[in-house]
Amino acid sequence: MSLRAAAAVVLLVAGGLLEVLAVLGLCVMRDVYDRLHYVGLAGFGGFLVAVAVLVRESFSLIGDKALLVGLVLVLAGPVLVQSTARSLLVREHGDWREKTREGSDS
Amino acid sequence: MNEWEIAAAVLGFALIPCGAVTLLSDPAGALPAVEVAGVLLSTILVLLAEGLRRQPFIDLAVVFAPMSLVGSLLFARLMERDL
Repeated sequence: MSLRAAAAVVLLVAGGLLEVLAVLGLCVMRDVYDRLHYVGLAGFGGFLVAVAVLVRESFSLIGDKALLVGLVLVLAGPVLVQSTARSLLVREHGDWREKTREGSDS
Repeated sequence: MNEWEIAAAVLGFALIPCGAVTLLSDPAGALPAVEVAGVLLSTILVLLAEGLRRQPFIDLAVVFAPMSLVGSLLFARLMERDL
């Protein structure tokens, strides 16, 4: 096995383990805000898998597209976590900006 | 079966707990499971493209990853207003 193939397998296993860990965390955690932590972790797992494909294929058509997918996944994680947490907060407690405006008016 | 296909199979089985969490918890608690399932599916498509040497699968992943992001954001936004 060449060094490149070995590096690809190591990255593949690391990415897969991160994603399985994210799923386990999702199942173990009871609170929705605790579960949100694992969305970002799964994105990093996807990125490692994409880098594994890139290492094996180099910058070919399939390698470039895998890198694109990995970047989308890893960048989507924080965006999803922030927007979901914000939406759930508004759902539970209402819009805090209206309360801030009311407080400044009085 | 090569290592890419094995990884795709493992992640395919990891979708089952995500589905269970989505079905069994309340709508707010299900949303993170849907988001993780979207990431898993995108990764599975990349792995299948590499393992089976089928280029179209990675095109599916390129389309599915942003669509999954947009869908999850939309769900979160609608959930904010309890729709």
